[in-house]
Amino acid sequence: MGKEECKTMLDALNKVTACYRHLVIALGSTSDSQNLREELKKTRKKAQELAVANRTKLTTLLKDKTISTEDRAEYERLWVLFSSSMELLEVDMKRSLEIGQDFPLKVPTRHLIQTGMTGSTNAVAARAMSVQNMKYEADSNIDTADLRDLQSEITQVSQMMEEMEMKVQVAPWAVVAKQEAGAELKSNMSVGNSSVGVISICEEEPKDDEGGNGREGSSAPNHSITLSLCLL
Amino acid sequence: MTFSRKILHNYYFFFFFFQAEKVLLEMQDPCTGVKSQPQRLVITIIPHAITGNKNRSLPQARSLGSMLVSLGYIYPLQDHKNLVIKPDASLYRFQTPYFWPTQQWPVEDTDYAIYLAKRNIRKKGMLELHEQEQYNHLHKWMNHKWDFIVMQAKEQYRAAKERKKPDRVVFDCQERAYWVVHRPPVRKPMIFTQQSIMRPRVKSSVSIGALVKYCSTYSGHDPFLSKCLPSNPWLTDDTTFWALNMPNVEIPTKMRVERWTFSFKELLSDPRGRDDFRLFLKKEFSGENLAFWEGCEDLKWGTAVAMKEKAEHIYKTFLARGAPRWINIDGKTMEITVKGLKHPHRYVLDAAQTHIYMLMKKDSYGRYLKSPVFKETLKKAICPDEHRFKNRRPSLSPIIIRQQEQEQRAKMAASAPVDITQVMSKLSKQGKEMGPRHSK
Repeated sequence: MGKEECKTMLDALNKVTACYRHLVIALGSTSDSQNLREELKKTRKKAQELAVANRTKLTTLLKDKTISTEDRAEYERLWVLFSSSMELLEVDMKRSLEIGQDFPLKVPTRHLIQTGMTGSTNAVAARAMSVQNMKYEADSNIDTADLRDLQSEITQVSQMMEEMEMKVQVAPWAVVAKQEAGAELKSNMSVGNSSVGVISICEEEPKDDEGGNGREGSSAPNHSITLSLCLL
Repeated sequence: MTFSRKILHNYYFFFFFFQAEKVLLEMQDPCTGVKSQPQRLVITIIPHAITGNKNRSLPQARSLGSMLVSLGYIYPLQDHKNLVIKPDASLYRFQTPYFWPTQQWPVEDTDYAIYLAKRNIRKKGMLELHEQEQYNHLHKWMNHKWDFIVMQAKEQYRAAKERKKPDRVVFDCQERAYWVVHRPPVRKPMIFTQQSIMRPRVKSSVSIGALVKYCSTYSGHDPFLSKCLPSNPWLTDDTTFWALNMPNVEIPTKMRVERWTFSFKELLSDPRGRDDFRLFLKKEFSGENLAFWEGCEDLKWGTAVAMKEKAEHIYKTFLARGAPRWINIDGKTMEITVKGLKHPHRYVLDAAQTHIYMLMKKDSYGRYLKSPVFKETLKKAICPDEHRFKNRRPSLSPIIIRQQEQEQRAKMAASAPVDITQVMSKLSKQGKEMGPRHSK
């Protein structure tokens, strides 16, 4: 059914958008590297593929006049999800262009900002690309070479969004969300490869608990404030 | 921040953003920049923490540092809500470029909502008070995007877990610091805006209906919109209209009397109407109400010097027990008024005045309109005839007068030489004769 396909694709786009944001946040910091630039490029391309696929699917669905009002309402809701994702993606792409330009990696006099982040982001990128491990095969001047591509891609995305607005008549404010306030607390979280029992994230919140394996709310036993070693 | 303050803030700081970024980059230089130390958090060690210690000596350095912190380029690791540089061993860290403040990247509510949702997940629903308020507010106003916000929050939360622990810690601090700058926790209560929201609102159909009613009632009485009798003095140079409608004229016009029936306010504001009403009240032996009301008006609009005296006089005449013209107001109003009179001011009698006004309006006014006094006045009221332009002497325009003078002068000059002074005096006499007729 078109709806299920749509939802799956939107979920994928949503995931890639979130990962892309994490990668852009690392730009310009001490986490920045050639690998990060390559990760950004790959994630971006994937996001665009998903965007085009989603757009095609949703436009065909919404242009169909024979669908019922319920279906139409659902597609409009999916449309709002899609356009919000695209907005976020566009903003992040623009920012990555600016920061990328401000922080070229090869210039010795340009220092990266000492943000405290030093680790790599390959796990985040792998998540975005839905692979186990990232392969790095780009040239060593990717930090400057990619910027031109990025610029044209940003224009493409803007154009696509404009076209979308024109073709499909959806009033985003009329959409009613399915999720209630606090919905993020209710559903299950996937068990990712993360640590157990982190004690504090900043000195000010000593009693904070990140919630073990990521399950929160109902399952209480996991919130043991132990000095256990981190499993990374 | 209000919109205009935001613009000013951006404008003012645009220059500083540019310079601040340059300074920040220089601070990163391993040789000439700021030295950093690792931060220990139980078992985690996170590098690149700086202190404000060295700033103690140079006030400029300290103010620059404070500015960088308040803008969000550097954030404190302890006491994260207090955006200042402390000249002690407290730790700070540089903010990642993504979270730097610049004009081109406006701070979006969507991002804040996603952040709050993530925080909600992390804190398992126990948000701080201001965060909870903001969350509820955003949930209401961004409801159509809420599905997206929840989805994105969950995905961002999961993606963050893919990083190593020290980086996770740093990221959380960075994000939190960003929102402390752009959505500060303490907000002044906007009393003015809250009050204006609570103001009673009238449906436009009701207010427009009232306007229509007013216009239809008064259109006949408006000299600009309809004929006024006998004539509009500005058009016909005939002042009968003003003479007939003098404040204390003996016999009012019919139009004027009709206006008294529109509302009690009209009756009272017209001196002739008030007189008529006073006469009626005298016959009913309830003249003290109007007298009191007039006294209050006098107090309100009178000079400040005479205020105390007037207030006392009014009290003695109308309000005191056993007063000669005692007015009947309810106990509560009397209490308030007497209490207020201890320290009299212009508006001390407002409550009592309103009470009496409403009394007269609801009670006496209705009876007045049905009374013989009013009916008599109505019968006697005149309806002047329309002005007949026949009797009007049109005034000569000065241009024509001058032309005539010139013609006469030319005629004089054409004929035999005559004594000029005689001619001039004759002309000036003629001019004086014509004067009173057209100089009104």
